[in-house]
Amino acid sequence: MSGVTPAELGQHAFLRGMTEHHLAVLSRACWVAPWRAGHRLFEEGGTAQRCWLLQSGQVALDLHSPGERGLIVETLGPGDLVGLSWFVPPYQWQFGATAVQDTVTFELNAIAVRAACEEDPALGYALLRRVMAAASSRLHATRVRLLDLYGGAGGGQEQP
Amino acid sequence: MTAPAAPVLPARYQVAARLMETHDTVTLDLQPVDRPIPVHQPGQFTMLYAPGVGEVPVSISGTGPGQVLVQTVRAVGAVTRALCACRPGRMIGVRGPYGTDWDVASAAGGDLLIVAGGIGLAPLRGALLAALGQRDAYRRVVVLVGARSPEELIFVRDLGEWRRRGADVELTVDRATAGWAGHVGVVTQLLRRATVDPGRTTALVCGPEIMMRLTARELLALGVPAAGVRISLERNMRCGVAECGHCQLGPLLLCRDGPVVSYPVAAPLLAVREL
Repeated sequence: MSGVTPAELGQHAFLRGMTEHHLAVLSRACWVAPWRAGHRLFEEGGTAQRCWLLQSGQVALDLHSPGERGLIVETLGPGDLVGLSWFVPPYQWQFGATAVQDTVTFELNAIAVRAACEEDPALGYALLRRVMAAASSRLHATRVRLLDLYGGAGGGQEQP
Repeated sequence: MTAPAAPVLPARYQVAARLMETHDTVTLDLQPVDRPIPVHQPGQFTMLYAPGVGEVPVSISGTGPGQVLVQTVRAVGAVTRALCACRPGRMIGVRGPYGTDWDVASAAGGDLLIVAGGIGLAPLRGALLAALGQRDAYRRVVVLVGARSPEELIFVRDLGEWRRRGADVELTVDRATAGWAGHVGVVTQLLRRATVDPGRTTALVCGPEIMMRLTARELLALGVPAAGVRISLERNMRCGVAECGHCQLGPLLLCRDGPVVSYPVAAPLLAVREL
């Protein structure tokens, strides 16, 4: 694992537009973490002490139940934030996550980031806006999937 | 019978091959028995007639040797069920081609982004093949496909060939099943990662209307010019020659003014409850 400069962090889509000062604070709690395909980032129910900004590769969020294979609920790719639960009490993962490709991430110490947000509400607000945007985008995508859009005819054909 | 005497008279075609794409979707290779219908452009549709059952509009997915028409049909009603059930040797009626096309050539010099949802890939297949046939004329050719599940993806057998010929193909499904290692989520989520230059992109979009609206909205947010976004609209096409009015959408008769419509024309019509 190696450190990340504020400039490198600022290039990530999730943090784009953040002030240099805030990037510098975050960079002190951040390092580069490459993962092989198949690496398990976290388990449902675990304590959310880290989060990741995806640089390359792909991570799948999943749910497991006894005797059944894991259900992938969503996959995340470059530019995405992996993990929302670290930002919201009780800081417990709601899903599991696995790198499904060789993946490079910026890994952040969520405890340190939360402490920095408590100290500096402006940083907290800047991060809140970004986390909310990510959560809103995923909520929107989930709603669209609930519509089961592909069930209709489409393609110029007769209606059921 | 020889040639169709009028644009509404079906030509006889024989099913030369039938390939199951999914549990409810088949691709038919249709061989002309007499004179074939006129040459089509990617995006246009034909009216396919199942003898004794009825007629439906079906987009053309491509052509094959010997003026074979390739058409992909999903069984959702009586006529499409009858068409899907046609085995090689069966005779059906074909008239057309009708409507507007994707005008793929106008995208030359820029990036071509093809976004398909479900069976919406069928009308886009011809456009993609046309672009790959002139691959050097385009910068990036990116194909994004969404489906309900991996089992409902169509043209899976073609994906390797499309990639080999220079297309970036990305798939996503709403619901993953065993063995699926690809993306899970809506197709619009792939747009942000598409390696195209938005300002120089022509986007061809086909799928359920809500999916097309959301895709177009996302494309505009990314910086793709509205005039560079084309979508394929369908209504109840009956005559194919803008006489009966069944396919009216506001000021458009989609069998003539569509199915391919530029987004600036389509956008005001897509969110209106009653037209």
